[in-house]
Parts: sequence; C-alpha cells; structure tokens
Amino acid sequence: MKPLLISRIGILLLVSSFAAISGASARKQTKTPARPAAKPASVVTPSPDAKALGSKNAPITIEVFEDFQCPACRNFYETSLKQVIDDYVVPGKVYLIHRDFPLDMHPYSHQAARLANAAADLGQFEAIERALFDSQEQWSTNGKIEEALASSIPAPQMKKIRDYQAAHIDEINASIERDRTLGVQKKVNQTPSIYVTSHGKTEALPGGGVDYKLLRNYLDFLLRQ
Amino acid sequence: MATSAVISESQSQPRAWPRVLLVLGRVALGAIFLYAAYSKLYFDGAWHLHDYHFFFAMAIDSYKMLPLSVVEWMARILPWFELLLGALLIVGIGLRWAGSITTALLLVFIGAMTRAKILGLEINCGCFGNNEKLGTATLIRDSSLLVLALAVTIGAFLIKRRRAAVSS
Repeated sequence: MKPLLISRIGILLLVSSFAAISGASARKQTKTPARPAAKPASVVTPSPDAKALGSKNAPITIEVFEDFQCPACRNFYETSLKQVIDDYVVPGKVYLIHRDFPLDMHPYSHQAARLANAAADLGQFEAIERALFDSQEQWSTNGKIEEALASSIPAPQMKKIRDYQAAHIDEINASIERDRTLGVQKKVNQTPSIYVTSHGKTEALPGGGVDYKLLRNYLDFLLRQ
Repeated sequence: MATSAVISESQSQPRAWPRVLLVLGRVALGAIFLYAAYSKLYFDGAWHLHDYHFFFAMAIDSYKMLPLSVVEWMARILPWFELLLGALLIVGIGLRWAGSITTALLLVFIGAMTRAKILGLEINCGCFGNNEKLGTATLIRDSSLLVLALAVTIGAFLIKRRRAAVSS
C-alpha cells in the first residue's frame, strides 16, 4: 500500500511542479504596459491591398473575416477594431486586413460586400467600412444601403462607387469569392474570425469578437517579443 | 448448514465490480480533464505556455459573465486546475474531494453554456481549444461528463462508507 501511495504523491508533485514552473515563467512575460493615450482618428495610409489598412511592414498582421450585416462583426468593429486602428494601425504596429465572409443567412451582406469592394478599389475602404458598420441597424432591415450611407458618403462619391461597381462587377464578385475560399481553407466557422500573425506564426483568436482590452494585452505582448 | 455458510461468506465480501466501475469512471474523467488542460496549452501545432491565457481569457470573456480582472485571473489558473483535477482523479488521491470539485466545476460550466445559449451568443465553447462553437452537442457532451462526475463522486463516498463500516 505504501509504495503505491508514494508513487501517487510523486506523480502529483511532478504535475504541480510543471504547473508552477510554467506559470511563473508566463507571469514574468506578461506585465501590461499603461494604455497609450488615445489618438485622434486619422487617415490611414492607403495600402497596396485595397481592403487593408496600415503598413505592410508592421510587425503584426491582423486578418479579420467579416460579414457587414453580422451584428457581432459590427460590435467588434465599433468596440475593438476602431481602437485598434487608432492605437496600432496608425502608428504602424499592425497591418489590418479585411476579408469578406458574407453569410447566406444575411440577405444584404453580399450587396454590402460588393459596395465595400468597389469603394476599396477606389481607395475608400476605411470610410465605407466605417459607414457600413455605423449604419448597419438601418440598412440591415430593408437593404437600402446607399440611403443609409447618405449621411456619411457624399452623393457624388457614392455615384462613383456605384458606377465602378457596375463596370467591374465580375472582378468584385471574384474578389469576394477569393476571400470566402480563403476563409473556408482557414476553417472559418463564424464571423468575425480573427487571425493574428507575428514573428512568422499565425494564431486564430476565439471567434465571435474580442474585447479591446484583452486584444490590446495580446498585441502588446507580441510587440514585446 | 454448508449452504448457509457459503451465503454468509459471499455477503460479507464486498463485490468487485463497483470498484472496477469507479476506477474506470475516474480514470476516464481524469483523462478528459487532462485533455481539456492540454488543449488550452497546446494548440495550432505548438505549446503556448507563455501566452495561453490571452486566448483562454478571450474565450471566457465571450460568455459576458465576469469582469475582465476575474476573466484574466481565471484564464491563468483554470488550465492548471483542470490538470491537477485530472491527475487527482487518475491517481485516485482525495477522490471524494476531487469528484465533488469536478462536479461543481462542470455544473458551473454547464450553467454558463446554457445561459449563453439562451442569450443567443454566437461564441466558442472554450472547452477543448479555440475552434469549437458552442452548441447543443457541446451541452450534451458536458452534461454526460457531469453525470459521470456525479457517479464517480457518489461511488467514492459509498466505497469510503463501506470501508468504514467493514473496519468498525
């Protein structure tokens, strides 16, 4: 009986010492720095990738698979992504890529994605993305997207986007489909799905959106590496 | 006379199968808890001993139940706690305590999952890694684990009581 008890205690000690060592080393590396002062929203340098914001040379790349009509995507954009743009994309720490993943359950998400892609090709992705999410509650009930965007996108600009969309509809649909295919390859099963690449490694964050403070802690941790 | 002696002898000896079932149950439950801990520390093809808590905190926070400070604290300790519970269950030390705590923990998990389902939250379960959507299947699976944990706990108490009765 005694040797059995000793061996059991031995196993437990082994497990707990492994836990203690790993826990201590993890704690050492995760001091959270003070939150940088909020910067005023500024115009982000247009990227070679039409649906991306920031510098391609940024140490971190965030890829977000989104559906413009999905409420969780809107919530993530409004509560986290806007701050990520101000605090990390503008200072060149993060390269933010939007990927279209319109879900069939949302009747107007394809329409919104087409408009966003047309605007992106005209160098206005940041403005249209903001406008689409800001007014999502309005257009998602009736599909009158242009009407809902009227307050944020001037009429002549909207006409340009509409004309561009009509002239390049095949390329636009192909671009949306490419994003979708990429999402399927990455096993995207909900929106928003977020992928963070740093130091050559890509990690998937839990789907459905992430609180800004938790995302900030993780980004700061990656920047300290 | 001979027949009655055999009957009384067999009645006094405890049957082996409840003990065997208890061992199988606790080892299975312990292995599942070890795997749950492992899946939070090893994912995307690599160990995440230094950053696992960021991912797990995001998963816990998606349930929208706890303040961020508690979420971050839980994210740091829960995988190690699951590892310890799994080890205790497999080894069989403090089985009544380990079983009771496992049952209570599973009750909390199922409560949180049911609440999220009722609220219509489209989130990940966070049970075994990051890429498992919360759904009816995950609820059924965790409920089955709860039944197993309850059986192990009751079994551990009953066997302890029987041993005490025999020794007295």
